[in-house]
Amino acid sequence: MPRKLGILRFNMSKLTVAVIFGSRSTEHDISIVTAIASVIKPLELSGKYNVVPVYIDKQGKWYSDPLLSDINLYSSGNIEAFLSKLKPLAIRMDGKLELVLKRKKVITIDVAFPATHGTHGEDGELMGLLEMAGVAYVGCPMPAAALAMDKALAKTLAAAEGIPTSKFEWFYARDFAADQEAVLSKLADLKYPLFVKPVHLGSSIAISRVENSKALVQAIEVAAHYDDKVLVEEAVNNLIEVTVPIIGNHHPRAALVEQPLLKNSNLFDFETKYLSGGKKGKGGKSGAQGYSKLPADLPPKLYKQAEETALKVYKTLGCAGTARVDLLIDSQTNQVYFNEVNPLPGSLYAHNWRQAGVSNVGLVEELVDLALEREQESKKLTTAFSSNYLKQY
Amino acid sequence: MQVIVDNLAVNYELTGSGKTIVLLHGWGDNHATFNRLIERLQARFRLLSLDLPGFGGSQPPLEPWNLDNYAHFVASLLKKLNITPYAFIGHSNGGALAIRGLSQGVLDADKLVLLASAGVRNSQPLKRLTTKTVAKAGKATTFWLPRDTRQALRRKLYGTIGSDLLVAPMLEQTFKLTVRQDVQADAEKLTLPTLIINADHDPAIPLSDGKRFHELIPGSKLEVLSSTTHFIHQEETPKVATLILGFL
Repeated sequence: MPRKLGILRFNMSKLTVAVIFGSRSTEHDISIVTAIASVIKPLELSGKYNVVPVYIDKQGKWYSDPLLSDINLYSSGNIEAFLSKLKPLAIRMDGKLELVLKRKKVITIDVAFPATHGTHGEDGELMGLLEMAGVAYVGCPMPAAALAMDKALAKTLAAAEGIPTSKFEWFYARDFAADQEAVLSKLADLKYPLFVKPVHLGSSIAISRVENSKALVQAIEVAAHYDDKVLVEEAVNNLIEVTVPIIGNHHPRAALVEQPLLKNSNLFDFETKYLSGGKKGKGGKSGAQGYSKLPADLPPKLYKQAEETALKVYKTLGCAGTARVDLLIDSQTNQVYFNEVNPLPGSLYAHNWRQAGVSNVGLVEELVDLALEREQESKKLTTAFSSNYLKQY
Repeated sequence: MQVIVDNLAVNYELTGSGKTIVLLHGWGDNHATFNRLIERLQARFRLLSLDLPGFGGSQPPLEPWNLDNYAHFVASLLKKLNITPYAFIGHSNGGALAIRGLSQGVLDADKLVLLASAGVRNSQPLKRLTTKTVAKAGKATTFWLPRDTRQALRRKLYGTIGSDLLVAPMLEQTFKLTVRQDVQADAEKLTLPTLIINADHDPAIPLSDGKRFHELIPGSKLEVLSSTTHFIHQEETPKVATLILGFL
């Protein structure tokens, strides 16, 4: 049954942190878990903040109520009934971020903590909004988030900066629809097996591994069904896939290099990542991200190389706060390739940070501090000044 | 694997080698329902199992569908994958779908296996009457309540009487269209060799439905398992697989 609405209790001496989650994304539900389990609860546990959940529903309406931080509200299927009793938020952005609740009650946000995944949130859109509002926010700045969420752009930039990537091509879905042969001839130099990916989607949605041209066409159709831009890249031989969570602004540091373990389909897909819950096994760890080796089973030199490559990618793309860099390693040639950056890792990769010696609470506290540090720096930059330019007109 | 069929993203699995058997799951189920059965058939056959639109990892239809829409969809998928099926295996509503598609000439195969097939839509008059009465009485007595309270109550009522609608509430209109579709007249038109397997104490599909299909489908063979489950391909996999392999 629908619940009663919650009551906001604020301590004026504490920072007010708005955790923003949900949104119009195929990863909407994953975002709810990240927000509640990995952000809101640790922020509350730290005792340092007034924590305000801000939920964006699948239609894009914004809501805030203390009870929106209860996972049971979503898992029970009562969320829609609950929302029908709430008034969507109004937002004011005049030099600061303010949430206008019912009866004109206003909450001024000190720090925004995006916990959205995928489109309309992780991809820079939300960060752009927060940038316009002039509020400190956790995680990658808008340009880095937008770059990271376009797999083709990220690879193009990394390659231009001398970071190895597997051979790839990208194209617009509309060009494939208009002239399939022209696009296929552009791909003709790539060697099978190939991976086909929608460039903007996360959580391995609609990613296919193909062995021949017939399967390639079908895989492109699938990717183009979800996205307007498609990336096709060569698979790395003798593959070891690793992922490196990173934290920091100017002096980023890596958590442990983690090795997700593949299932038979040769693809660490949505089901493995989020639905299967992982399998227990020797040396492996299961969690929100499935089953993985933590730390990765790599020779020390290769481990170091992976860490350094990930940090170089992080800096090249202009990441800040936190991000996760995925790498592909050819275990025969010891070549490390950049694969993609996740600017808002699912569950913040808290399981990895925990093993690296950073608690969930410590992680969110550090992220809030990094957001404030970045805000202070951006305030020092000159963005507007008086001039007599208009006098000539 | 995913493929785009009629502008819908569709999830499917293709395993084994040999002549192709297409497996159609029931309402609210998905392709994985056949995993155990596939393990026992894949040495001799290539098996295509799919999530029908609205179920598992496949996108829901953009408008309400009936069995004919589903049959046309299966035909489009087969064409896209360039597959000529040797046989269909349909469980529950997947059986009704196969019967309808084959009788209308939308689908084609050499053989058919019906597992606890649905499609005899007047076989549970008491349950249907209860559902109808509860639905009508519910509508009449709750129209004045707020919408969300009404829906919560409705869920509870349908749950109490065990309606399949609860399995996929977002497909309500499609559910109404498909379960209204009786395929007895279609079954009569079938000419392909058909194996019918039913459980004697299936709580969802009574044995009388299997017997009815056996009467209607010329030359069909009926096998009755001593079981209390509707999911005979999961609970009685070895027996079902042996019967199917013998028939195919």
